[in-house]
Amino acid sequence: MMQTIAIFVSAYRELSARKIFWLALAISLFVVGIFASLGINETGISFFGWTFESPLFNTNTTSPETFYKLLFVNLGVDWWLGVLSTLLALVTTCGIIPDLVAPGSIDLLLAKPITRTRLFLTKYCTGLLFAALQVFVFTSASFFVIGIRGGAWEWTLFTAVPIVTFFYSLLFCMCAFIGVLTRSSVASLILTLLAWTIIFTINISESIVNSGRIANQLEAKEIESKLANTEKPVDEDEREELTSDLAKTLENRPTWDRAHFWFFGVKTFLPKTTDTLGLLDRWLLDSASMPSRNEDSNRGPQQAFGPKRVKRGDFQRAVKEDEQSRSIWWVLGTSLVFEGVVLGLATLIFVRRDY
Amino acid sequence: MVSAQNAMNGSANNLAIDLTDVHKTYGKKIRALQGVTLQVRAGEIFGLLGPNGAGKSTLVKIMMTIVRPDTAKGTVLNLGVGDPVALTRIGYLPEHHRFPTYLTGRQVVEFSGAMSKVDRPTRKKRASELLDRVGMGGWKDRPLASYSKGMRQRVGLAAALVNDPQLVVLDEPTDGVDPVGRREIRDLLIGIRDEGRTVLLNSHLLSEIENVCSRVAILVQGRLVAQGTIDELTSSSRRYEIVVEGTAPAWCAESASVRMIPAGQMLSAGIQGESCKLVFLGLDALGAQPILDRLRAEQRTVIAAQTVRESLEDLFMRAVTDPTTGLIYRPGAAT
Repeated sequence: MMQTIAIFVSAYRELSARKIFWLALAISLFVVGIFASLGINETGISFFGWTFESPLFNTNTTSPETFYKLLFVNLGVDWWLGVLSTLLALVTTCGIIPDLVAPGSIDLLLAKPITRTRLFLTKYCTGLLFAALQVFVFTSASFFVIGIRGGAWEWTLFTAVPIVTFFYSLLFCMCAFIGVLTRSSVASLILTLLAWTIIFTINISESIVNSGRIANQLEAKEIESKLANTEKPVDEDEREELTSDLAKTLENRPTWDRAHFWFFGVKTFLPKTTDTLGLLDRWLLDSASMPSRNEDSNRGPQQAFGPKRVKRGDFQRAVKEDEQSRSIWWVLGTSLVFEGVVLGLATLIFVRRDY
Repeated sequence: MVSAQNAMNGSANNLAIDLTDVHKTYGKKIRALQGVTLQVRAGEIFGLLGPNGAGKSTLVKIMMTIVRPDTAKGTVLNLGVGDPVALTRIGYLPEHHRFPTYLTGRQVVEFSGAMSKVDRPTRKKRASELLDRVGMGGWKDRPLASYSKGMRQRVGLAAALVNDPQLVVLDEPTDGVDPVGRREIRDLLIGIRDEGRTVLLNSHLLSEIENVCSRVAILVQGRLVAQGTIDELTSSSRRYEIVVEGTAPAWCAESASVRMIPAGQMLSAGIQGESCKLVFLGLDALGAQPILDRLRAEQRTVIAAQTVRESLEDLFMRAVTDPTTGLIYRPGAAT
């Protein structure tokens, strides 16, 4: 335990010695400051005395508590912590493993009575310290903003700390693997960003294909319902059009199903970065009985893959239900397996190598 | 502080390091160590010598578990090679070490202590004492980034001693240190030895080794070519030299163990006129007395007489020279 504490204390000293750490913290507090300066009233959103009218966001449609939680999840977590802060964290921590295995540095540690596996995994955990500290500070500040400005002291907000740290660990395990393999900070950073982009693309592609698959199912169901409606029968021309559309829809179904099967299959083996952060949507917004950000209304044009004859709101609700039907254990469990495999390989290389 | 008795207890057979048949091959071709056998006695300063790529660092790294050997029999501090308990009793300063520059000298020493499982109050106390001892007391709370290379080396020495080790392994400890600092480090090494600790010194500086080491080993291309005290290793080169006036006596020419060097080839300054140097191989002062008596009986004037033996540098050069070709072995491990 003494050695673990020493490594963590040293890691904290390293972080605090880096300007980028304090810069990221300052930006975090600045972002929370922006949240705090935003307000919601009967007509819309206020910002430093100005009011921007909004039919969607006003106190008649959204409570202050809901408003600030939406800001926290959609802007704070999804954008600041999920993208920008993560980039800063990767830039800051990408050198941890290459520095560990650098000649002259590794000798000092391996000569100590600590197993290689424990040394590597402890160092890996120190890499998560940056993300954990950043998220904790951001969440704590947001907690007070929501409490003071929104009037709700929402402790579940702090679930963001383990969730975002876990999200970061999914990227950092790849960074550690590349770091131990190449011993290069630059290679670690670039290849991790590349892997993140690929994973993000696959996640988005799966999401799009899944939407298309659901749209196809809803469309077919809606047409069949109309055709079977005896109370309000359709005329001959419409029946002909509906029958033709139904045939086309059913004809396209295997294509959507097959495409989704492959994308979903690939995604299953990859870390669920987007879905992991999406868990906060489920816990924070649903726990407060808030409407989803996508579940706004039935107005507006349909999406590219949306069904023609189904209301937009119904379609979005169906997509969201399908996404949330994937259990938390599937999201976290399969990601954890990925992390375990990558980290296991990295540890194996680290343990077996001569320095 | 480790007493001499403790050091003895640490090694029942009075050997701090007792390695036999150490083999290490990098990849499939580079044979870094080929059956090295090394014995370091408890309480001595032992010098490990060899040209670049001879396998010195590999041997040290095997003892410190940094490199995994193909085979390595024997013990370090009477425990198996790489035993974690043994590692808590060893202080190590690698060559080209890289301590984190964001830490202060005190933090480096304390971190090293914590990693060696030294409790907090002890390591804090020892960090202060050791930094004072290596002359870094005034700098201990400044970050390493502001230190010179020699200062970092001193801090590294303090870090290697923080766990009160029985065995101290130092790889080029005076690298980057100025002459005054070298002298201080040499005195420190002698002090460490006098406390009963064993020191394994890996250095390219032969004069440094010669000054402080009681025994040495020379590695060449992964093989141990010599091991023992400097006296033992240079005894075969021992000779007695007599400079006499006039030409060499005829009886000298009859002996195979005598070399005669005429005045023109002598390097010694201050010898003028017709004279000759007689070199008696393998002879010491006692053995030379009958020869001196005979020369005096022949009415010859003895200008100079002394026992001569090769320096460590001569010994080293002899060890790294191929006796069949007379050429120096190429640097690097055997392939």
